[in-house]
Amino acid sequence: MLPLKIENLAVTFPGLAAPVLAIDHLEIAAGSHVALTGGSGSGKSTLINIIAGLERIRTGNVFWGEQNLAELSEGRRDQWRAANVGLVMQDFHLFPGLSALDNILLPARLSRVANNDLVKRAHMLFETVGLKRPEQNVETMSRGEMQRVAIARALLRKPGVIIADEPTASLDLESGDAVGDLLLAIAADSGSTLIVASHDLRLVERLERRLLLKSGRIIGDVPAGEIAA
Amino acid sequence: MIRFILADLRRLWLGGAVVILLVALATALGVAVTLQERSLRLGSARAADKFDLVVGAAGSETQLILSSIFLQPAPLPLVDGSVLTKLAADPRVSWAAPVGFGDSFSGYPIIGTTTSLIKGTTTGFSEGKMFALEGEAVLGAAVDLSVGAEIKPMHGTAETGGHTHAGAAYKVVGKLQPTGTPWDRAILVPIQAVWHVHNLGHEHGQDEHGHEAGEHHDGDGHSHDHENEEGHEGDAHAEGEANHQEPAAQSASHAAPEQHAPKYPFALGAASSKHVEEEHHGSIDPDAPIIETFGSSTPGLPAILVKPKTIADAYRLRQEYRSGSTLGVFPGEVLTSLYAALGDAKMVLSAVAAGSQGLVAAALVLVTVIHVGQRRRQIGALRAFGAPRTSVFLIVWLELFLLVALGVGIGFLLGFAAAHVGSQMFTAKSGVILPVGFTREDLRLALILLGFAGGLAAVPALLAYRQSPAQALRA
Repeated sequence: MLPLKIENLAVTFPGLAAPVLAIDHLEIAAGSHVALTGGSGSGKSTLINIIAGLERIRTGNVFWGEQNLAELSEGRRDQWRAANVGLVMQDFHLFPGLSALDNILLPARLSRVANNDLVKRAHMLFETVGLKRPEQNVETMSRGEMQRVAIARALLRKPGVIIADEPTASLDLESGDAVGDLLLAIAADSGSTLIVASHDLRLVERLERRLLLKSGRIIGDVPAGEIAA
Repeated sequence: MIRFILADLRRLWLGGAVVILLVALATALGVAVTLQERSLRLGSARAADKFDLVVGAAGSETQLILSSIFLQPAPLPLVDGSVLTKLAADPRVSWAAPVGFGDSFSGYPIIGTTTSLIKGTTTGFSEGKMFALEGEAVLGAAVDLSVGAEIKPMHGTAETGGHTHAGAAYKVVGKLQPTGTPWDRAILVPIQAVWHVHNLGHEHGQDEHGHEAGEHHDGDGHSHDHENEEGHEGDAHAEGEANHQEPAAQSASHAAPEQHAPKYPFALGAASSKHVEEEHHGSIDPDAPIIETFGSSTPGLPAILVKPKTIADAYRLRQEYRSGSTLGVFPGEVLTSLYAALGDAKMVLSAVAAGSQGLVAAALVLVTVIHVGQRRRQIGALRAFGAPRTSVFLIVWLELFLLVALGVGIGFLLGFAAAHVGSQMFTAKSGVILPVGFTREDLRLALILLGFAGGLAAVPALLAYRQSPAQALRA
């Protein structure tokens, strides 16, 4: 739902002469599905952190819709992220000791926005991602199931953007495919902008636009099908 | 949030339990010291409460109070019997009662005294009645004997090599209501019975005693020689009389019929060893009525408990009896000086407790800082998924604070229990009831500890708060 526009972005780390990420101009249309690829050290993770509002922007502007992340304080960025970004990560980051449902609701509860509607939505999402037992403790789930819970958590507050960082990297082939299906289907259903950083070619292939990063710069930007797998 | 914290604590229950235990023990140490010291003060003050003024022979004030009020066995110098006569007749005195120690039964001290003291210091009888005859005894509430029991007094105590008085026995006729003082552990008998058991104050000895009163400090050495020859109790004597110029003079046992006792730790209501020569076999006449008017023939006494009519009288009497051979003491003033020593001991113990609390606090900071470091990723993830920084701060803070608060709470209970057990042991031994209880001061201590815990918990919480989620996730 949200379009992304990046202008003159430069991310430098102290002690490093060259910026780890330098993007003069990048636009991603609202509702599009984009893959971020590139080797380790290419600046992929940094870009994910920047567009998710996890990292402070010192140089340049990052607009999601009308909102310039560069202008937000850390606390405001947290707030904005909580409301607009659904994050799915390689390591799931589910919290042991809580049930699957509680895990889905945890960020909303910590932000004190969990109301009855949201709890209902959590139940609904739980079914959407294909799980059966909401009270099951997450520790007893398979990795594929865990990632489904993580996806349900990401979708809880109807985010305009879904950002997935290597969502299939720690899953076996079958689970990875299923998770890929789920992400694409859900993004299509909700109309959310989907950005997936991945090495997983099977997943990357299915996204409509691919950005290739190297040494902090975008060196390839092609629609699906034009790069041979 | 609470659910998250609880889930987290459940997962880390072992570490949490150790934290709680550490905090609880450190807290309990401090609390127990405070409570025990306070209960000692309160208990001893209450025990001494009923005794307004104690008059004894010149000597140690502390010893006089310990022996007469806390019934701790120790040889006391004797005050001349005439002092009691004078006090009893004094219009400022509501009652004055002699106390005579020295004998025991089953570990309970047998105290010779008068009905007026019993009436004046207790709330009445739980069963039975006051002694009326020389051979009758009244039990303190904590004495594990029943009315009707027969008591054969033992000289000294069994542990110190005492021996049983032949031919003397009391019959228990009453049991007193508890007073919370060491007197609860005492067997009270008529003072005249104690004198008679020890061959003092008999009619046939009276004249001689009176006659000797002026010079018996000179005759003492001779008496000793005699006794040594007789092989009865020469070594039992420190000094067989109350010397007017030397308050240190002590009197030990006199009536040691037949047997030879190595050392008598108790002071006795004895005036002169002369009596020993006259008669060795002391016995009481169980059916003789008790006489509580004390004439000039009254034997020397270790202590006289005095109830003055007014406070002003109390001060005047104390002043009057603080000169020369007598010593008037308010138990309170002796206790005050004892409390000063107690306070010093408490300060040392409190410092030790505070030190241990400091160590525990430092250890906790270390542990939690490491813990937060280990959980950087988790904390980063919480932030990344949209938990506000304040929530993250609160989670870390609450988690530690809950543990410490629980520890402090348990520590207070543990300290209370420890002080209670300590007090009960003390009560069993001494009869002094030590009231263990919390006061406002403890509330302040609890608040200080909790406040400190709050500050302590803020350290890792702040660390978590300041962590950048992106960096934390990268780690």
